[in-house]
Amino acid sequence: MRHFRYPQRAVAAALGVLALGYTLMAFGIPDFQAVEVPVQPGTLPRVLGLLLLALAVALFFQSAGEEEPEAESPAPALAAAKTPPGPAAQDSSAQAASAGDGAGAAGAAGAAAGASAAGGAASAAPERPTTMGRLADDRLELLALLGAMCLYVALFVPLGFVLSTALYVAGTAWYLGSRRHWVNVLVGAGLALGLYLGMSQGLDVALPTGPLPF
Amino acid sequence: MDTFDQLLYGFGVALSPENLLFVFLGCLLGTVIGMLPGLGPISAISLMIPIAFTLDPASAIILLAGVYYGAIFGGSTSSILLNAPGVAGTVATSFDGYPMARKGAAGKALAIAAFASFTGGTVGVIGLMLIAPSLSALTVSFGPAEYFGLMVLGLTAVVSLSGQNLTKGLISATVGVMIALVGIDSQTSTLRFTFGRPELYEGVQFLIVALGVFALAEVFVMILRRGRGTTGGQLSSLRLNRREVRTMSGPTARGSVLGFFVGVLPGAGATVASFLSYSFEKRIAKDGNTFGKGNIKGVAAPESANNSAAVGSFVPLMTLGVPGSGTTAVLLGALLVLGVQPGPLMLEERPEIFWGVVASMYIGNLVLLILNLPLIPLFAKVLKTPQALLLPLIVVFCVVGVYGHSFNVFDLWLLVGFGVLGFLMRSNGFPAAPLILGLILGGLMERSMRQALQISSGDYSTFLTKPISATLLAVAALSLLGSVLGPWRRRRAAARERAGGGGEGPSGGTGAAPGADGPGDGPAGEGEPGAGPAGPAERPAGPSGDGGDAGEPRPLGPDGGSTGAGEKVPAGHPGGSGPGRSGPPGASMGGDGTPGGERHQDG
Amino acid sequence: MSRTRPRLFAAAAGTAAALLLTACGGSGTAAGGPWKPSKPIEYVAPANTGGGWDTLARSTARILEEDDLVDRPMRVVNKPGAGGAIGWAYVANHAKDPHKLFVTSPPILLVPMAGESDHSHRDFTPIARLMSEPLAYVVKNNSPIKDFGDLADRLKADPKKVSVAGGSGPGSLDHVGLAGAVQAAGADPSKVKYVPFDGGGEAITGLLGGHVDVAVAGASEAQGLSKSGDVRVLAVSSGERVKTLPDAPTLVESGVDYEFDVWRGVMGPAGLTDEQVAYYEKAFAEMVKQDSWKKERDRFGWTDAWMNSGEFGEFLNDQEKELGEILSSVGLKKK
Repeated sequence: MRHFRYPQRAVAAALGVLALGYTLMAFGIPDFQAVEVPVQPGTLPRVLGLLLLALAVALFFQSAGEEEPEAESPAPALAAAKTPPGPAAQDSSAQAASAGDGAGAAGAAGAAAGASAAGGAASAAPERPTTMGRLADDRLELLALLGAMCLYVALFVPLGFVLSTALYVAGTAWYLGSRRHWVNVLVGAGLALGLYLGMSQGLDVALPTGPLPF
Repeated sequence: MDTFDQLLYGFGVALSPENLLFVFLGCLLGTVIGMLPGLGPISAISLMIPIAFTLDPASAIILLAGVYYGAIFGGSTSSILLNAPGVAGTVATSFDGYPMARKGAAGKALAIAAFASFTGGTVGVIGLMLIAPSLSALTVSFGPAEYFGLMVLGLTAVVSLSGQNLTKGLISATVGVMIALVGIDSQTSTLRFTFGRPELYEGVQFLIVALGVFALAEVFVMILRRGRGTTGGQLSSLRLNRREVRTMSGPTARGSVLGFFVGVLPGAGATVASFLSYSFEKRIAKDGNTFGKGNIKGVAAPESANNSAAVGSFVPLMTLGVPGSGTTAVLLGALLVLGVQPGPLMLEERPEIFWGVVASMYIGNLVLLILNLPLIPLFAKVLKTPQALLLPLIVVFCVVGVYGHSFNVFDLWLLVGFGVLGFLMRSNGFPAAPLILGLILGGLMERSMRQALQISSGDYSTFLTKPISATLLAVAALSLLGSVLGPWRRRRAAARERAGGGGEGPSGGTGAAPGADGPGDGPAGEGEPGAGPAGPAERPAGPSGDGGDAGEPRPLGPDGGSTGAGEKVPAGHPGGSGPGRSGPPGASMGGDGTPGGERHQDG
Repeated sequence: MSRTRPRLFAAAAGTAAALLLTACGGSGTAAGGPWKPSKPIEYVAPANTGGGWDTLARSTARILEEDDLVDRPMRVVNKPGAGGAIGWAYVANHAKDPHKLFVTSPPILLVPMAGESDHSHRDFTPIARLMSEPLAYVVKNNSPIKDFGDLADRLKADPKKVSVAGGSGPGSLDHVGLAGAVQAAGADPSKVKYVPFDGGGEAITGLLGGHVDVAVAGASEAQGLSKSGDVRVLAVSSGERVKTLPDAPTLVESGVDYEFDVWRGVMGPAGLTDEQVAYYEKAFAEMVKQDSWKKERDRFGWTDAWMNSGEFGEFLNDQEKELGEILSSVGLKKK
């Protein structure tokens, strides 16, 4: 998660911009004049927008070190992540990377923490070889899976529920490292068909059919 | 006939073989449907309506009622196992239920939920039977001003759900209210923040947000966890020891009673009841700081409350003929089609229906318990699924749940969007619970406030001159004052003590004070100066505070930003975390696991 | 129970086939008979289960099927959202598809006028109007307001002193039904303190608790509490008294020259052929003659209000004008 933890001031600034945009929109909500109303539809949004703005400012000036020490601990964690993921090294490097991210999130733990956590995790790796995924860089990994999710949603109607679901489940499971391919396919297709039949026949919930003839 | 005779008569109706079959069938189907994330009681009942229309009215309503509480009962399962609350009423259950499951106590969490539900349901039915007619007075005594008071009181829970960083909690809650305001304004029919999308006219469905920020965000986190932190332990064991039973009995009893009375109020219902009961228990508990990390009280309280509230919402339906919730609105429609007019005359005109339903609720509760207890080990095994396979399955269930509601791909994109939002919130230490609370209560609060002011012609004093709303607002103010002053005083004391100790410790309530290393990782000794001295003063309870989440940053629950620190607290070394809201010195850890016991497995 | 969602290309094929049939002349079918549906009819209720639209859709679908008035099964589909706009937008997107119908009522006119729907009633083919139900103006049993005339006098004297609850937002059914009556009684409808609640049930609960003085709700929503004596119905908005509220006078009887019916009917997508319209028109015309329909009708307190396709179309145009005037008078008309 280290990659997705942004400096508190950056978060606060982004929130501030959002709050500003929201507030402007809120002031754009027309007043309701047809019938007399004591509270206009725009009133609460305006209050909320300003409140969020104030909170963003508070967050900005809140000492990050005091509240949640930021993860400016680049050295070991990053280094671990950047280790070329050779076939043998991949497991432990992934482990180290994410262990490092734990430390990163924890923040000020800093270099030593990252190193030790990574070390601890890495030494544990042989014991629990449950590594998932393929890319050592968390950002790319997450993007890949988010992409898969988006593809699933995009194909949900054109391909229909059964096909898109079977593809998504089997594909993602394979990608994440479930190596028994026939299990992936069987679970994907079985779940897709089962859910489809259960929903459409049993519960009368119409899921998209796609090109399949039912 | 007195109540007892009538009840006997009701049992006569409910115990006829076919009605018994319908109770059983309803409970079973309801549980199964409710378990699927996204399909809650409303969908369950809607799905059953076509079948129910072919039955005679008493059997139909018995079937539908069975489906109703079956769905509520089953709803907690996905909350606990997958962090995917399909119903608003079970959101609060996931706060502690899911951490329990992650710690390897999934079976136990489910069992607690089952017992708490049973108790809540039974208390609710007894209430419905004995005092339903007189409760209609309570129901109608709540007008807009009173609802406003109740919603404000509910919103004060933000403070206790915020974790260490109140600013971030408030930001989450504000954003939640903002989401609630999207759509056609109910009071003036003005479009607000719809960006020209008709899909947004009715607002953003609660379900999309809940599944996004809880379940999908969790999926992203699990990906980054790379398969570590898979749950071990006695997953499927549902055995509770005597101490645990004792620990949960108080919250369950209080939750049941509170839930029933809140449920009686139309519109408030199970969600408000479960949140109120959760934050109330958290506040009065000695080990309140372990809420959100797998405290069994945090499962028992909201579960009992939402079930008894579900029964409570039958009161306005049966006695006034007005629906107390979305679900009972669907039930009302079904009843009308079946030729039954619920209302004050129902008890006289159609006693077989009223008492049949009451009796079938007793039976249904029992059936649910008997049905579910043996199934719990089976459900808990879900967590044994290899994560590489489990992750896409969770996504599929979320997608089906959302699509099955609106048949709209736009909503699926929203779901993914909220998943990303939830993930970013978590990685940056923003708690998700206040967002959900703001979303649920914010819209209701605005509506009732504006209704009340409309009635009073803009006179704000209406909130203070009406006794019920004044009382509720006073309680809200007191509880805010208490939760702000308490930590402040404690912080002051800590600061004074620390004054000599040097270093700006984690006084603002950081959880991230990296004390030292987790028991598994061995004390690497990189503890930050300042954390040590601050720790003991504020949090003498020992290291267990952060132990909840197995070595994973999970700033979701009240453990806020404590994140990675947890895994770096050596047993016996007080970690400086959660100072803001720790119990009094020496607070016992209550039902929560022992300090290092539930730690992550990779050490 | 099987219900498959017609795939797009199937729908297109169906449309193409229908077009082909029309192109071949009025009696294009091989048997030379009139047009018949070739697959299950999707019958959209633009609301959730349990509401007025859904109730009508389900009861009529059942009668049509049970009495063999249609050649293919009717599948009720709920498409809730945006006061119905989501549901009818769905039908509008299937122009010329003769296997899609939806149930409709005044919101098809009111929602577009409030600027909340991209489609108006002109984007659909009227099939038939089936029934209507009046609104009821209700007070608590011990209210000092004696009758509707008394209410109107109070509103004229000091509108701030009387709050009126309704089950829907301003500019919608309950509000328009109230504003029209108030205007006819000589008071200023834009001054009335109208408090929108979430459904007629909640409005009546607010009334029972004494939080508001008057409530506007569907006659069936007031039925139970009126029978038990908890509430008193000042007037119903229909031209004649209704059976379920026999003691309630009409507005006209109360000296207010106004009628407002919550009618409900059936529409299809734009571009249906005369044959297709005639087929459904006939099915529904037969349906309202069935005993099972009469039973349902009486149970819900509905009044028969049959209109065929042509009459219904004209009626919709008239209603649009009439409702538009009321909306303008309270300043709510946007389009």
